[in-house]
Amino acid sequence: MIEDILSIKDLAGEEIKKANDLKTIQSLRIKYSGKKGILTTKIKSLALLPKKSRPQYGRILNEVKNYIETLLTEQERFFRNSELSDLLKTERIDVTLPGNFIPYGHQHPLNMVLDKIIDVFLSLGFRIEEGPEVELDYYNFEALNIPRDHPARDMQDTFYITDDIVLRTHTSPVQVRVMEKQRPPMRVIVPGKVYRCDADVSHTPMFHQIEGFMVDRHISMGDLKGVLEVFAHAIFGAETVVRFRPSFFPFTEPSAEVDIACLICRGRGCKICKNSGWVEILGAGMINPRVFEVVGYDPDLYTGFAFGMGIERITMLKYGIDDIRVFFESDRRFLEQF
Amino acid sequence: MKASLKWLKEFVDFSLTPKEIADTLTMAGLEVEGMEEFEDDTILEINVTPNRADCLSIKGVAREISAILGLPLKEPSIPVFEKEREHLTVEIKEPQLCRRYAGRIIRDVKIAPPPQWLSRHLELHGIRSLNNIVDITNYVLLEMGQPLHAFDMDKLRGSHIVIKKAHPVNKFLTLDNEERILSKDMLLIWDRDVPIAIAGVMGGLNTEVTSSTVNILLESAYFHPISIRRTSRALNLSTESSYRFERGTDIEGIMLALNRATQMILEIAGGDVTATADNYLEPFEPLPISIKFKKINDILGIDIEPSLIEELLRRLGFEVRREGEGIVVIPPSFRQDIQRDIDVIEEIGRLYGYDKIPPTLPAVRIQPHTEDTKRNLIKTIRNSMRSAGYSEVINYSFLNPSVLDKLRLSPDDPRRNVVKIRNPLKKEEDALRTTLIPAILDNVVLNIRRGERSVRLFELSRVFLPSAQGLPKEPLQMAAVYLKEREPSLWHSRHEGFYDLKGTLENIFLELRIKDYSFLATELQEPYLHPGKSCAIKINNQIVGSLGTLHPAVMEALDIKGDISLFGLDIDRLFLNIPSGLTYTPLPKHPYVERDISIIVSQDTPAGDVRATILSIDSQMIESVNLFDVYTGAPIPEGKKSLAFSIRYRAGDRTLTNFEVNAMHSRIIKALEDSLKAELRT
Repeated sequence: MIEDILSIKDLAGEEIKKANDLKTIQSLRIKYSGKKGILTTKIKSLALLPKKSRPQYGRILNEVKNYIETLLTEQERFFRNSELSDLLKTERIDVTLPGNFIPYGHQHPLNMVLDKIIDVFLSLGFRIEEGPEVELDYYNFEALNIPRDHPARDMQDTFYITDDIVLRTHTSPVQVRVMEKQRPPMRVIVPGKVYRCDADVSHTPMFHQIEGFMVDRHISMGDLKGVLEVFAHAIFGAETVVRFRPSFFPFTEPSAEVDIACLICRGRGCKICKNSGWVEILGAGMINPRVFEVVGYDPDLYTGFAFGMGIERITMLKYGIDDIRVFFESDRRFLEQF
Repeated sequence: MKASLKWLKEFVDFSLTPKEIADTLTMAGLEVEGMEEFEDDTILEINVTPNRADCLSIKGVAREISAILGLPLKEPSIPVFEKEREHLTVEIKEPQLCRRYAGRIIRDVKIAPPPQWLSRHLELHGIRSLNNIVDITNYVLLEMGQPLHAFDMDKLRGSHIVIKKAHPVNKFLTLDNEERILSKDMLLIWDRDVPIAIAGVMGGLNTEVTSSTVNILLESAYFHPISIRRTSRALNLSTESSYRFERGTDIEGIMLALNRATQMILEIAGGDVTATADNYLEPFEPLPISIKFKKINDILGIDIEPSLIEELLRRLGFEVRREGEGIVVIPPSFRQDIQRDIDVIEEIGRLYGYDKIPPTLPAVRIQPHTEDTKRNLIKTIRNSMRSAGYSEVINYSFLNPSVLDKLRLSPDDPRRNVVKIRNPLKKEEDALRTTLIPAILDNVVLNIRRGERSVRLFELSRVFLPSAQGLPKEPLQMAAVYLKEREPSLWHSRHEGFYDLKGTLENIFLELRIKDYSFLATELQEPYLHPGKSCAIKINNQIVGSLGTLHPAVMEALDIKGDISLFGLDIDRLFLNIPSGLTYTPLPKHPYVERDISIIVSQDTPAGDVRATILSIDSQMIESVNLFDVYTGAPIPEGKKSLAFSIRYRAGDRTLTNFEVNAMHSRIIKALEDSLKAELRT
């Protein structure tokens, strides 16, 4: 009986070692430890043996069974591995084919720059207000100390809807609209479209501005300079040199125009800056007490500053765009550069 | 305004280079926009802001230089002429419009070409040389900023000058031989009852100084800025004179300019002064302004010595007197722009130098921010559109109303009711747009013309709708367009672009957590969309826009072809329909059971109806219904299609039994058979 079992062990060991594919291993597993396999049959036949000798045979049978199964499992693992590695040798995709995706759409460069500017001022505690693009002459001019028949009206070519209604020529009317409704302190920015009757390489009849103003007690021209320097450094880089020079706007006094050292030539003088080394980026000033009087603020109590800039101009400077009209042409090749 | 450096140096001795003087002026508020070099001179091109009428002359600019640099101003010596050999009277009938009028008769002048230096001076400053007399008046205008006019005395009938309005005269021939149509309020200069000049704007041809002139009447006056500006605008005639008068001239400088011109005429053209009249109705009253030092420093954000403040103002020609903790100043007559303390503060800051004001950041009181929900909504939409491959465009707000015909809008379409611009830049584009669609289609046309085969664009902008009273309404709208390439590229799907665009919209709704939306083919027929391939977009039973494939007739009108789909969305209306809160739903504790169903229905049965019918059986237990196949062709009979849905059943409180699911599934099949005449596909 024992010899019998041991010869099964030897035979099985030989057969398993000889096997050279997974299929043979699987049939050997059935042959020896399947439901009707040789070992299974032997184990079942233990019941026929005298009680006394059962444990001895049982132990040996078990050992042999474990031996054979371990052998089978090892061989099986070996064949599975080699089968997988054969498969991996043949399965191939062309990783250089383009990925399947919809390319991201592009932000309009004007909105890109506008968003950046807005973020700078939101971080300084300004909030956003908007106003109508078709505006009353009163808000666009009169309330901003630009009476009818004043030469300051020549500074802006106006589109008229009626005698009293215009396409706003700047975002400044929103200053008045906001101040009429709210009391200081306030820090507000106003982005939006504005319109002037003008068209060439550097002018389009519609363009974008962002207006900002702050009203509180004790606001000074130094504060205006400080805030606008923060802005210029955030948008054009921390090394940007900023200069303030006197100018005139009817709704601010003192008024200033703000230049930065030309980004192209770094102040040495080139075509972009007309050899001056400087490019103008915005207009600003302390809010004219006449405007405060219009909205019912006491100019002895409150002071404030205001500034306004053209987004197109800033964007052109930032990215070296030389023709303002491309912003509104919607050529895909232009849009996809941003 | 142009200013010769050489001429400026006649008034102030400075040794700065042209570049240095340009920078100095610019940093004091007289922006030098350009410089032109000549062999012996440099001409500065100065941008004089509307408030600085006093700088519209060589002397004015020189005065600024002297104030900035602290150098003395050299005044040429000008004699006074007082000979009275004949009678000259000036009658001002409009004291509001003309506060001062001076005239002078000079006899026996010799009209000749001007000396070379004179004509060159004028030409360098952009004024055409005519003859010695006219050139001298222009020279003085450039030098002192006071416009002068010379009449041929022999063409006048007497020596009584009247200043009054045009009424009843309504036509007048000006020096440039143009007949001007006058309105009754325009101010004229009259030779008793014959008009001889449009006050402050241009003289008449009837009294022109010509080569045969012997005696002249010289005019130097002050006209009201608004009156001159109105006249100049109404006549569309801006002259060197009107430009200065409408900005305000120096009423106190009238005789000085007249004497200066007389001096030059006698020197260059000879002649003899025989009469002078100066009708000065309302003499100039200087206006004292008091300011506290503290206010100056507070507003400018500096700490400047009182003595320096006083010095700076004196250099600008102000009279200054100390009074307590401040000063009282009297601005000079040529500075009509200085009316209040803030005007004086600006002058101090300007001359002190803006660059010396230290930048500071304001100390503020904290104010809470409220969430800008609309801006966030727009941001979300923008990001969704971009992630779906759409690039943002910005189009002009102008509209050529005739393009609405190309969109096939009916004559009574509300979008034809436009806000009109009175003075459009292009005659045809005389309206503000009521829809974003035409412009974005133009964008597609442009891109196709430039060789693009696939384009995805969107725009978020306001449109303008006239309102019965007040300003127009300006709702925010959105338009998107997708030109899908006809020959598919590698991964390109083969379905119509409509579904891509619809998917993009659905994704936006998902992002905005809008659940109750639908696409309804039967409602709202946009005339520019294909009638069989378009629908209304509804949220909470409100139409918020439309989606569809471009109408073939519109494509033909635009001369384009291709698979073009587009949508229009009213963002304001969308905004009103966004659910506000978000509530967590606990995760289901019991498994779902999934069953597929495949049916054959008539070709024109919308899949949406099938889905709705399925859902209507038990909205509690049916968790989801997903269409996964649409098939036509053999073996499906002609005119029919096969639709396959996968249905998920789930109960909240127990695991569903096969028995329950089978029962529900049978009810669904029955309902589909009954209401949609569907057959189960086997």
